[in-house]
Amino acid sequence: MSVPILKQGDILIASIQSALSDRDLVELRDELADRVGRLRSRGVVIDVTALDVLDSFATRTIRGIAYTAKLRGADTVVVGIQPEVAFAMVQLGLSLEGIDTALDLEEGLALLHAGKAERARRK
Amino acid sequence: MVNIADQSPAQALSKEMGLTEAAVERRKRIVGLDGRDLERISSIKDLVLAHTEEYTSAFFDHLSSLEEGRVVLANRSVAERARQLKREHLVAMVQTDYGTEYVTQRLELALLYSKAGLDLRVFLAAFHRLLESVGATIMKHFEREPNAGFEAFMSLKKVAFLDIGVIADVIIFERERVIRQQQDAIRELSTPVLQIRERLLLLPIIGVIDTHRARLITESLLSAIRANRAKVVVMDITGVATIDSKVANHVIQTVTAAKLMGATVIVTGLSADVAQSLVVLGIDLAKLNTVGDLQGGLEEAEYLLGHRLGSDPSAGYGTPVTRT
Amino acid sequence: MLAESSVAIVREADIVIARQKGRELAAAIGFSSTDQTLLATAISEVARNIISYAGHGEVVLSGIEEGGRRGIMVVARDQGPGIADPELAMRDGYSTGNSLGVGLPGARRLVDEFNLASALGAGTTVTLKKWLR
Repeated sequence: MSVPILKQGDILIASIQSALSDRDLVELRDELADRVGRLRSRGVVIDVTALDVLDSFATRTIRGIAYTAKLRGADTVVVGIQPEVAFAMVQLGLSLEGIDTALDLEEGLALLHAGKAERARRK
Repeated sequence: MVNIADQSPAQALSKEMGLTEAAVERRKRIVGLDGRDLERISSIKDLVLAHTEEYTSAFFDHLSSLEEGRVVLANRSVAERARQLKREHLVAMVQTDYGTEYVTQRLELALLYSKAGLDLRVFLAAFHRLLESVGATIMKHFEREPNAGFEAFMSLKKVAFLDIGVIADVIIFERERVIRQQQDAIRELSTPVLQIRERLLLLPIIGVIDTHRARLITESLLSAIRANRAKVVVMDITGVATIDSKVANHVIQTVTAAKLMGATVIVTGLSADVAQSLVVLGIDLAKLNTVGDLQGGLEEAEYLLGHRLGSDPSAGYGTPVTRT
Repeated sequence: MLAESSVAIVREADIVIARQKGRELAAAIGFSSTDQTLLATAISEVARNIISYAGHGEVVLSGIEEGGRRGIMVVARDQGPGIADPELAMRDGYSTGNSLGVGLPGARRLVDEFNLASALGAGTTVTLKKWLR
């Protein structure tokens, strides 16, 4: 598995190290889907800090990851989109609508935890 | 990869200006420097070398006679360096080896002139005086064969024009560099992103927003979000001249890009009237978090930071991650 | 100064190679970091189109000079089935929010000049040009 996936409590963290091929991305999606189910994770963090390009395929796949994770009860946060990449995505017309995003890993985890606390508060 | 720090300013400039072997050959072709010219120059080489002091004085005397020329002479060490380089130039000028090294040598003097702010016209005038002085000694020497003398002088003049071409290009290049820097400064001023609180940025936009400026603003904002780890941005468009559908789309794009970096953007200064007309034009403003005025926007920002988004991620909830 | 390199697009891993090379060439020409990313993203889209619709093709990258300004040209060509209605293919899918419609119209937004030449059974050639500001 080319993308390391770390487990931190009930959160899975996938740190994408470098340019991924389409196959790697699909593999990541399937791997995360599997682990979320098995480990009963409540959150997934996809760290794309090292990616210099996020094109339509990558965006679609990330949406797929978030969708599948949601089906299995986990929230997804994408973190680390660099300024230029964000700019290019918007120019290209790509949207990560409906998926939470955060500046970096620290913020992403805080967001997931805050979300949990929010839900706990409402119960 | 060559480490720029190890190069002299003249060498670095040479690279920037693209003065490659090929470029220098082209310049020689342009002035028409050929084998016969080199022969003729060789024939007057010793003559010229014997009078370099005289020629150097001709150049600098003319500079000091003009108010605009005295800028080079104002500082003593600069003046002495300039004289030294000029002497070296004259020597190199008759060596008949005019390659990248020759050109780079000229760059050093050109940089000196450029930094001193020497007017190009003044330089040309002084250089002409120098050539007059060279011409005089050549014609005197060739008194009995004036044609040969004239031809030798004209050959040398080709090299002189090669030099002038280089020096003029440097002065222009450096001037354009200043202009580019000023343009950058102006651009920065027109897209100010202010950090008014931890994690909170204020982006006041004034004036006309065209596609180019919109892009600059977006780039500035996104960089600032990363640099300041901002979570909320208040983007005030009260001062924007015309808010039509194009501008609205630029705003939406900027907001969307900021959101991808985890920052929430509150747009203030969008009056109800303008908002209404945009909706009529088919612009989907639902994506925008708008608040009427700046004050309200800032209050909303404070609220978001304090409550929903939680300004201190390490307080309470869950295990904080140690970042490497 | 007119560097040129061709990247064969045969498997999807070549998409990454094409865009890295594109980025490198853009950097050498002097494009800003942001423009490099825009270009790399555009290359990614057109190269992916080749794989998706033609199976294989090539991306040719070259530095260009025109009327005093310098830039980069990307030619993505294939001998695939071609596009029956190029006009329709360029219709912006952006407003529908469907990322599937992003490919070519999206790539066009990232560059300065865009040309699509294609016909059924005659393959496709997409030409992109980006100029230094």
